[in-house]
Amino acid sequence: MNTDLLIVGGGPAGLNAAYKAASNGVKTTVIDKWFTLGGQLKQQTQFYNNLPHHFSKQRGFQLADHLVDRLKALDVWILENHTMIGAYQDGNVGVTDGSDTFPVNAEKIMITTGAMEEPEIFPGWTLPGVMTAGAAQILINRERVLPGERALILGSNDFALEVASQLHDCGIKVKGIVESGSELLCQNDELAVKMRDADIPVLLNSVIESATGKGEVEEVYVSTDGSKSLYDVDLICIAKGMTPILEPFEIMSCDFTYQAKLGGWLPRYDSTFKTTNPSVYIAGNAAGITSMGGILLTGEMAALSVLQALNATSSEKIEKEKQYLWDELYRIESTENRSVRDARLDVIKDLHYETGVQLPAYLDSVFGGLING
Amino acid sequence: MDKSTIVCRCEEINIDEIESAINMGAHTFNDIKRLTRCGMGPCQAKCCMNLVRQIISDKTEQPLSEIKPLRMRVPLGVTRMGALAGNQASSVASVFGESAEEGEPDHE
Amino acid sequence: MNKNYDVIVVGSGVVGSSIAYHLSEGKRKEILTIDKNFPLSGTSGSTQAWVWVHNKTPAWYGELSMYSAELYPFLERKIGDVEYKRTGGIAPFFSESDREKALKLAEKQAEAGIKVEVLSRDEVLEKEPALSPNIVGATYSKIDGNVNPFRLIELYVKAARKNGVQFSFYNPVTDIAKENGMFKVTTQDGEYFSNQLVLAGGPWSKSLGKFLGIDVPIKQVRGQIIVTEPLSPFLSHTIGGMRQADNGEVLIGYSKEEVDYDRRSTLDIIQDTARMAIDFVPALEKANVVRCFSGIRVMPEDGFPILGEIPGIENGYIAAMHSGITLSPLVGTLMTELLSEGETSIDLERYSLKRFNTIRSIG
Repeated sequence: MNTDLLIVGGGPAGLNAAYKAASNGVKTTVIDKWFTLGGQLKQQTQFYNNLPHHFSKQRGFQLADHLVDRLKALDVWILENHTMIGAYQDGNVGVTDGSDTFPVNAEKIMITTGAMEEPEIFPGWTLPGVMTAGAAQILINRERVLPGERALILGSNDFALEVASQLHDCGIKVKGIVESGSELLCQNDELAVKMRDADIPVLLNSVIESATGKGEVEEVYVSTDGSKSLYDVDLICIAKGMTPILEPFEIMSCDFTYQAKLGGWLPRYDSTFKTTNPSVYIAGNAAGITSMGGILLTGEMAALSVLQALNATSSEKIEKEKQYLWDELYRIESTENRSVRDARLDVIKDLHYETGVQLPAYLDSVFGGLING
Repeated sequence: MDKSTIVCRCEEINIDEIESAINMGAHTFNDIKRLTRCGMGPCQAKCCMNLVRQIISDKTEQPLSEIKPLRMRVPLGVTRMGALAGNQASSVASVFGESAEEGEPDHE
Repeated sequence: MNKNYDVIVVGSGVVGSSIAYHLSEGKRKEILTIDKNFPLSGTSGSTQAWVWVHNKTPAWYGELSMYSAELYPFLERKIGDVEYKRTGGIAPFFSESDREKALKLAEKQAEAGIKVEVLSRDEVLEKEPALSPNIVGATYSKIDGNVNPFRLIELYVKAARKNGVQFSFYNPVTDIAKENGMFKVTTQDGEYFSNQLVLAGGPWSKSLGKFLGIDVPIKQVRGQIIVTEPLSPFLSHTIGGMRQADNGEVLIGYSKEEVDYDRRSTLDIIQDTARMAIDFVPALEKANVVRCFSGIRVMPEDGFPILGEIPGIENGYIAAMHSGITLSPLVGTLMTELLSEGETSIDLERYSLKRFNTIRSIG
């Protein structure tokens, strides 16, 4: 099959990009390996109050519905339950629907496959009852199944506390947040307050020494500054952060770079969100772990770059729009995760430095001293 | 940590086995994988990728930024042979036909 | 690490590791093996690892393969369990016109002492019921089998180390020169000297040869392979095109592409291979494919091993061949004879680099 733009991954970045591209007349196809679009946003019940100005504040699953619904009026081809599994010699993407595998010939490909949760191991981590925080969240918010009764959360970032709070709201007794460092990683004060109000203790300088049980987690030893205490829990949620999914980019022969602040290894990309493969664009968490605002904005910016590359709309208009989006990204990432903002800029600068292509002037004005500093 | 702690669930490879491969001289995930089968199972190292990179970093004292991801392979996700073969007509490749003439079958 | 050795072997794949191991058995030589990467990172770690004899022709090449296959059980006694299995090999054909070719092959191989049978459809299906009923017949030989390449190379290296061989990994050779009768091998990590030098660089032999001013007439050929999830044992033979490993995985592939050193898997070939798999064994249609890999194989220009002294370069030797897994036990043995005694129990004349007439001055 043929399309102008193939978007791999129908989460918030891909959906927002599809909207932008299709509403400017680009023949757009979105594939997603799951049966429904929305990605991980589908089970986010929390309220997002730091979104770009052109989005209203809302809960995650509502935002997912909004992103999907507004595509309905547009000429976007949506292929659910379709997975990118490889590439052909000529660079076409290979897609399977479970019964056939076929090439998709696209002018441009945007990969928005997001990120995956980082595991952490300890003796007993393979027991049933140990899962990632994201998995626990899918169980409670999507499957409507309680993953346990008494839980420990391993990790103390925003997502760890968010899930702790959601578990608590479902009636699960959260017996502690286990953090190996000497301070809470969560930047969201509201969540920290919620932990206190809910009587959920934060165990700093602590690690899970072991989990044991007959066929599932029953007892967990937590070591705090060398002293051990026993927890009677049947659920351990691991929330040690996320790392960009790399596989589709490797298949498309994109180069990678390492940026700890963006989640580790990730594809290299420039200020247009183009990777080192000139046909392949990137957005969302795949381009570095960020906030929901960052995910939406990078999707939109990458789509604008595709429009530009396909000469689909006036370049002047696009540049103006991009400037607004960069301003928004700067605003949101400056309040939420400055280190992500700076690391992203490093990735972009690095590739521009190598290719000798000048950074657009508006990036200079947005980032000011950061560009040359 | 207890060296018998599993790192790769798919192939049930523990810390000790990975460290043994490193002791034999393997310093990349790809090389450790071929010695131990760590990361070779159904999930194709989706879970153990960064766990193994961390162990390599600890043992060889290289920063994580120097330790590359392993080579990621087609198909991305387990795929049924029939789906891979697709709906096209088959083209039988007779190994016999070719090799009998050339005396050179492949893949040995 | 020492700087001076009796022998330096460049390349620690199945061929280089086998040569280093067999050389070390005498425990009289100081040996260094250098690899630009790590054992198994190249060709030897990306193969189905058949030990395949039965349609190697002409007779003198068939014989070389046969003797090597015969050495496997003894090798296993010496270095440990490499999961060598003499499963017997079946090469199916799908058209009646191939039967005549098959009979000719059997006749020719009989001269070399390799017993090849031509099976009818029913005989094939009796031996291997999972094969497709569309098969018309097959050639069959008991001597074929397969090995676990990961264990094989690992155990070559371990046994060699035990005998005192030094290994230097992740260390590319950047130059080779001859100084005062000694080889000076310059690597990323430093210079090493030796009396004798063996080039065992597999598909990378061409660039090693260049250091010595010689052209090694080989091509790089990519082969792509599909691996299934572990399935309960149902294929008991090595089939021309696939085999089932001890852990139940089925390895399938029979492709050849000249794409330089590009090791990507492409769906063009993978889909063809999947179709071949189902044509051969219909039940594989329902099997899950977990991964694919590809390897760059050596293909000497005339197809036959390049083995022995490097003409014009005293004490310089080369071993570059397709089918390194099949041939490694014998190649290690013969090269040890050559380096130690100057002569070999099987005449290597026809395998000499001389036959290509491509030697340039060594400068």
